[in-house]
Formats: sequence, C-alpha cells, structure tokens
Amino acid sequence: MELDKYQKIFIQESSKYLDELDTALIKVEKNLQDQQLWGDIHGKIHSVKGMARALSMTDLATFCHAMESWCKLFQDGTKIPDERIVQLLFDGTDLLKAFVAGKGNISEPEDLERLRSISEDLAKDPEDLVDRAEPEIRLSAAPGKIDRIRVDYALIESLLARSQEIMLLEKTLPPLTQEQISAGLGNWINHYISMLKSLYFQLAQLRLMPVQDFGELFAKTIRDLAKSYNRDVTLEIVGGEIEVDIGLMDRLREPFMHLLRNAVAHGIEPSGEREKSGKTREGKIVLEADRRGDQLILTISDDGRGLDREAISAYLKEKMGMSHQEMNALSNEKLLSIICRPDFSSAGETTQLAGRGIGMNVIVQAIKYLGGNMKIQSEPSKGTRFIISLPLSLSIIYAVLFRLGNYILAIPTSHVESIENGGSKSSEKVEQLCDLRSLLRMDDETKAKGHIIRLRQSATSHIPSSENGGLGIAADAIIGNMPLMAIPLGELLAKTGLFAGVGIMENGDISLILDLEKIQAAVA
Amino acid sequence: MDIFIFESAGHYIGIEAKYIYRIADNVSIVPVPLMPVCYEGLIYYRGDLFDVIDMGRFMEKEASTLHDDPYIILLKWNAEKVGLIPDRIVGIKWVEDNGGAGAVFNKRGDTAKLMTPDGIWKKLTGLAHGTR
Repeated sequence: MELDKYQKIFIQESSKYLDELDTALIKVEKNLQDQQLWGDIHGKIHSVKGMARALSMTDLATFCHAMESWCKLFQDGTKIPDERIVQLLFDGTDLLKAFVAGKGNISEPEDLERLRSISEDLAKDPEDLVDRAEPEIRLSAAPGKIDRIRVDYALIESLLARSQEIMLLEKTLPPLTQEQISAGLGNWINHYISMLKSLYFQLAQLRLMPVQDFGELFAKTIRDLAKSYNRDVTLEIVGGEIEVDIGLMDRLREPFMHLLRNAVAHGIEPSGEREKSGKTREGKIVLEADRRGDQLILTISDDGRGLDREAISAYLKEKMGMSHQEMNALSNEKLLSIICRPDFSSAGETTQLAGRGIGMNVIVQAIKYLGGNMKIQSEPSKGTRFIISLPLSLSIIYAVLFRLGNYILAIPTSHVESIENGGSKSSEKVEQLCDLRSLLRMDDETKAKGHIIRLRQSATSHIPSSENGGLGIAADAIIGNMPLMAIPLGELLAKTGLFAGVGIMENGDISLILDLEKIQAAVA
Repeated sequence: MDIFIFESAGHYIGIEAKYIYRIADNVSIVPVPLMPVCYEGLIYYRGDLFDVIDMGRFMEKEASTLHDDPYIILLKWNAEKVGLIPDRIVGIKWVEDNGGAGAVFNKRGDTAKLMTPDGIWKKLTGLAHGTR
C-alpha cells in the first residue's frame, strides 16, 4: 500500500484516539487517582506512538513516549498527579494534534516553542512540576470543519423504507378533475413524483461501499499481525473503486479476517527466509475485486510459501485412509479443497499445516450462505490465492431493459454489442438467435421480432464472435438503457436457472436480469 | 397464542401473528416466468423482495377471489420473505396452542388450519418449476 494511504489511515485513527484522549483527561481531572483511567490514557497515547513508529515519524513517537512514561507512573500509583500535570498532558495532546495534522511534523514556530517547553517538562520528575506555579490555560481553538458524520445503517434502511412508502402513495392518488389539470396540478404532481423517485434511488446508493474502504479496515490489523509475527508485509488493494452492498461486506468481515490472518501468520515467510529463496524481503497480500459477468469476484492472494501439500497428504492418509495412488488421482483443486473439511482443523494443529485448516470450514459456510463459492489455488513457495465468487449483490448497474410479453427483462449494458430492428439486414447476420419465448415457456401468440439485442462475445465464454454474428436475443420492445439497483435472487427464483438477479428501477419497478451464461447453455 | 386468520380455498388458515410483517395493498405484482402455478410474482416492498403466492392455487384449488385486487399478507421470518394472497382476511384471534391440526377461534366453533411459514416455504421449494 502506498505511503499516502497509510498516512490517511494514520490521520483517521490518531484523530479518533486524540479526541478520546481529551475526553479521558477531562474525566481524570475530576478523579486524579483513578488508575484505570490513567491506564486508558496510557493505552491511547501508546496506540498513537505505535502508528507513528510504523510510519517512521520519530519526533512524534518520542514525544508520545515521554507522555506515556508519565502516565505509567500515575497508572501504577508510583506518583500522585495534580491538576497542573493534567493540564500539561492536555497541552501535550494539543501538540499531538498538530503533529498528526502535519503528518508527523510540526513547522509553526509557536508549536515548536511549545514542543521544546513541554518536552523539557516531561523530562522532569512529575513532582518537580507540582512545585511550580499554576500554568496558563490555553483556550482551545474552535473544532475543525465538520464534513462527515457517522450514520447508523439501520437509519438508512429506515429512510429507504419510508421513501418507498411515500412513492406508493402515488398509486392511491384520486383522479384529478379537468379544472385541477388545467390549473397545472397534474404537472406539479408528476414533477414531484419524479423528484421523489430520484431521491429514493440516491438514498439506495448510500448502501454501497467501495472495496477500497473495506480493505483499509484490515490495514491496521495486518500491520499489527505482521509486527507480532515479525513479518514484513504490505497490503495492496486492486479494483478498490468497485462498490458493493454494505450488508454483503459486513458478512464478509469475519471470513476475510481469518484469511488475512492466515496469510500473514502462516503464508508469508520471515524476511530472511524470503531473501534466501530469491524473493523480496517484503511479502505482499493483495485484495482484488472484479466483476465478471454477473459475479463479484474477490480474491485474496499472498506471495508466501503456499499450502503444505505434504501435510494435506498426511491428513488424507491418516484421516481418510487414502493410498498414494488415490491421492495422485485427485485433481489439484480437490486436493487443496481438503483444507475446508469440517474435521480438518484438529488435523491442521497436529500436522502444523500452516494453520489454514483452522476456521476454513467456517469461512466456506459463510460464503455459501451468501450464495457464493470459494476456490483455492496454491503453488509451493509461490503463494496461495483464495478466489471468492459471489452472486450479483446489491449494487447499481446499467442495463438494457426490454419487454417480452408480460415480462420486463434486463441485460447488463456492458454485455450488449448493439440493438437492431428485427427486420433490418444486419439483424440477419446474427448467427444464433435465442428463442427466449420458448425458453421462458411463454404461450402468447406474439411472434414479431421488434428488436434484436446482440450480445458481446465477452458476455459469455461460449458465444461466437460478434463479427461473425453473435448471439442475439429477440425483444418485443426496448424500454431503455438505465441504472438498476441489482439485488440477488431468492431461493425460489434461483430455481428457474435463467436469471442472475432482480433489478429495481429508479421508479421502484422490478425487472429480471438475465443470466447470459445460462441462457447460452440452454440455447446450446 | 395470537394467530392471524384468513380464508383460502374454503378453509380458515391460521399463522402465528408474530410472523406477519405487513398487509400490503395497491402494490403491483411483477410476473415471473418458469414458476409454479401458485406463484403470482414479485413485489418490492420497503426495500425487500417478496415472492407472492396465491393461496387458493397453493392449496390446489381455484385462484383466490382477491386475485385481481389483492391484499397481500407479508411474512418475514429468518432470512425468508413471502407474500400470500388470501380470499378474505379474518383477523387476529387468540387461541390455545393445543398442538393439534386445527384451532377453534370463535364462538361458532370454527377451526383454523394452522400453518407455519417454514411449512409453506418447504412446500413451495418442493414444487416443480417451469410448469406455468
């Protein structure tokens, strides 16, 4: 991860600790001998020091250390603090804020003078300060600009529900009289409803979170783990701009924590071992997000030692009674998937199988619950990749919507090559025309091919090149290219085997998003 | 226990009231192909998708009399959501949970056939798809 990203996390986290430090100092001022509170204060300063050291902010770390040393004396009761000491720590906290704002540096002459003065005081015995005169209280500046707020996710859900209910009122609107229409009431209502629908759609987007933010949630943990296991590790996030439903991300927190912990603790080798095997000293963990077709693909990979195949073989032999011949007949994928067996964890502990077995079954279950699956790739001394495929989750996609009989169907715009009139000459070049009416078992009499939607080759891996005339889908009428809020299929709809998700339009109407790979398979 | 009672296919049916999320009306039901005959379609209500079932057809009888302008009984439990179209909504009644197949709910001695959302769901998931 680049330095500026670490710095961003440092500023966010430190600011949080320093605000909490102010609150704790206010409390301790009223109860000077509360050793638990001093422990709390000590802990917060220690956390800022740890982050400063990780980013080589030496001056800041040294200053934190001096504050910390005093707090420890009050925490264990060696010294008795007084209000002047608390004031000095308040001043120190203000100075820490200046350090954090300056990304580890302070340049204002006034701040430099304060640094010198406070550092001199902190170098003394606290009792020497007690004998001094009352300090001058510095009035705090006004709090910084408030440009973001924390909102409970439940409030967003509630707002969405309420706005949808308001939209539903449209359906109970009584008929307008000619007089009311002439007075412009009809136009006013239409405009009002249109604004309301747009508001609803924007509110829905509050549920989305960039993968970048999700990945950065783990940056500090990875850093701490790397320190504790004496590893040198960086986290890289690829495809961080892809936005995913916060509900889905929340359910992936624990599985990802397990995978990342395993990667740091057991995948990445110590720096010396890496150098000996010709690798860079620094190990790398990559969290990659991608959209392929109707799937969200999240991959966690490391460039460490890979899974221990000998330990897997030992498990197969001891626990499953497999012979070498039977093991050799197993595909690589099947062999690696053994670590996801429910009873593998105990074997993992006894065979020192890099700890990957512990919790892997739980991870797989969590992903299955979300309708997804996980594949494992691993090569000795090259690393391990966990590839997690999840169904189209709540997200905003653009799709071509069309009508076929009574149904409103959608195809993601990225999969559409062109749309042609059914009777045009170019439409005759379509090599394969999908008879969707037949696939959907529609018994209406309509046979007119209003339009042909020609799909891109990339839409499915099997579709012939569009230059030669690719797969075409006949539509009665094109509704338009528009944004959809895509949500996963329920269990019943999934049984049809032809849909990838349900799309909610800006006006709250529903469409069914076609699963093009399955359509292609059905046509074939 | 409190049970929510409605009428479908000539039977009174009761579902424990705690499973009733809302009664929706004036909501457009979107048809879905390849679904069982009793499956009316989908509605999107307060941020959730509900599968809507015609209870008359579900009980292998005629379509519900409220079919064309339905009140939809929305059930939410565990991770599942389903909407039921009845012939008539009776209301919420308190009955003894006697563990039997029927529960007496009024002075006339009418009995309601108790159903659970899980039982309805199990039957739905077992129905053949693509028969419409």
